[in-house]
Amino acid sequence: MRAKRLTSPDPVAPLPGKTRSGVPWPRFGSFGQKYLILFILLFIWELSGQAGWVDQTVVPSLSLSLKAIAEMWTRIDLGSHILISLGRVIIGLLIAIIVGAPLAFVLVRVFPVFAESVDSLLRVFGLINPYCLFPLFIIMFGLGETPKIAVLSWVSLWPIFFGSQIAFKTVDPQLIKTARSMSCGSWSIFWKVTVPASLPSIFNGARVGVEMSFFILIAAEMTGATAGLGWIIHNAGASYDTARIYGAGLCVVILGVGLNRFLQIIRRGFLDWSDYLASPWLYAGSACPKPVNRTLLWLCCLVFVLVFGLGAWKIGLGENLIVTNSDPTAFNP
Amino acid sequence: MKFVRKHAAILVFLGLWEALSRFQIIDPLFFPPFSHVLETIFHLFKIGVLTPQITASLQRAIPGFLLALVVGAPLGLLLGGWLKNINGFLELPLEVFSQLNPFLLFHIIILFMGIGEAPKITIVTWTCLWPIVFSSINGAANVNPSLIKSGRTFGLCRLALIRKIVWPAAAPLVFAGARLSLGYSLFMLIAAEMMGASSGLGFMVTRTQEAFQLDRLFAAVTVIAFLGLFLDAILWFIGEKFLLLSMESHLNAADN
Repeated sequence: MRAKRLTSPDPVAPLPGKTRSGVPWPRFGSFGQKYLILFILLFIWELSGQAGWVDQTVVPSLSLSLKAIAEMWTRIDLGSHILISLGRVIIGLLIAIIVGAPLAFVLVRVFPVFAESVDSLLRVFGLINPYCLFPLFIIMFGLGETPKIAVLSWVSLWPIFFGSQIAFKTVDPQLIKTARSMSCGSWSIFWKVTVPASLPSIFNGARVGVEMSFFILIAAEMTGATAGLGWIIHNAGASYDTARIYGAGLCVVILGVGLNRFLQIIRRGFLDWSDYLASPWLYAGSACPKPVNRTLLWLCCLVFVLVFGLGAWKIGLGENLIVTNSDPTAFNP
Repeated sequence: MKFVRKHAAILVFLGLWEALSRFQIIDPLFFPPFSHVLETIFHLFKIGVLTPQITASLQRAIPGFLLALVVGAPLGLLLGGWLKNINGFLELPLEVFSQLNPFLLFHIIILFMGIGEAPKITIVTWTCLWPIVFSSINGAANVNPSLIKSGRTFGLCRLALIRKIVWPAAAPLVFAGARLSLGYSLFMLIAAEMMGASSGLGFMVTRTQEAFQLDRLFAAVTVIAFLGLFLDAILWFIGEKFLLLSMESHLNAADN
């Protein structure tokens, strides 16, 4: 061991920070490595409250925030609010995908000349701030759920549209030629070559869209909604209930990270080949991507459908939610 | 001519808007014709209402964005290229931080910083930081190792390696992140101003909405859209002119 270290530098020196065995410095398991800093931060948060370094009314400690979550869960039906928020995001996303991807395909493949002249207009649309469209959508669609979902669809529409536009434009012509030389019809070329080749880009667009719409959702719920996580935060902020702000904030963060993880699992499960095509050198040697557990994958899909269904159902009931679950301590404007 | 053909759709859209509203096919009370919106913008400029709002918004957006760029790009490059070990530790915390919604933070930051300019700039910085950091990490981590290896064979020191290989290879991604976050910065700033500010374009949107001055609302929205386009165009120009050119020359040199 020692002798080996003293000899001349390894001819295939590991890249900066990448040991050849794949085990990073020092010997924590991957679990410890991942969660160590997070746990330390959470611990400091809890400790600073308990030890009185910061004022508990300004920064309630972790345990107080968790208590607030539990309290909100039983008293104002936090679960329904979460489902409503997620349901809005998912409905917006589905609308954006249903509109965006086919629109991009039609523009790129059917009317390429027209697409070129429409392109700049669509880019302008994509840059328009979705949040200042909110008043306009209210004028167009009235109050209620429609303007919120319209804003969310608008937010995720453009990343998806531009992602699919690039995808359809850059399908490898070799693949299409090969398929054609095997006498594939245009229909099977579309389904077997064009769609799979462009799915990764569409998916990337959808990921950006989901993240942005989750951001904007909270803001939209803060200003004009009667249900959802944003409403809870706004409500708690208006009544200076910091424990509830932090509790609801924790929920938002956990949901955001969960959503991100979920999309990663879906991506790795269904589109794992695309990473390899994009940068094959990352997979040279032993660093093969670990395939995703199929059960986990289908479980994720099931959860997605379940959340969508329940969320849509709750949104339908949303008008009554506040009345039936009204909390005397909550601030009701 | 090519310019006209490329931007014909915008003109058609504006013309359609004008015509539909002029001929009362859509209610001009809710959708004032475009010419009227333009008139309002000029009028607002003339009476000196618009300029202070634009400067107020820009004074928040641009420092916030620049701060994020100055902090985020080196941090990301460092984490992705040099300190990959530490990156493993920080991956999850960074993801959690990036999911901390700026509007959520708004309530909390106000508790610490009070009301005023500081919390708004902080929010813009916070929002802009994450796309830049993640794309820089990605850019630095995904540099083709054979380039780095050949750099090593030529005996480049660490600094030269970063300057000559890692940076040029990562620059497009860093730059894409910067462009994305510039979009975010306006996006979040307008929302933050709509929620709690007494100046700025977002404030103007809510104010005119509450007062039902729809021509001014449309004027504000148009100015915001134009501002977004303008900033994006500036950044694109900078990227085309300086970054990508330097990158190309570097990569060509590496190829030869």
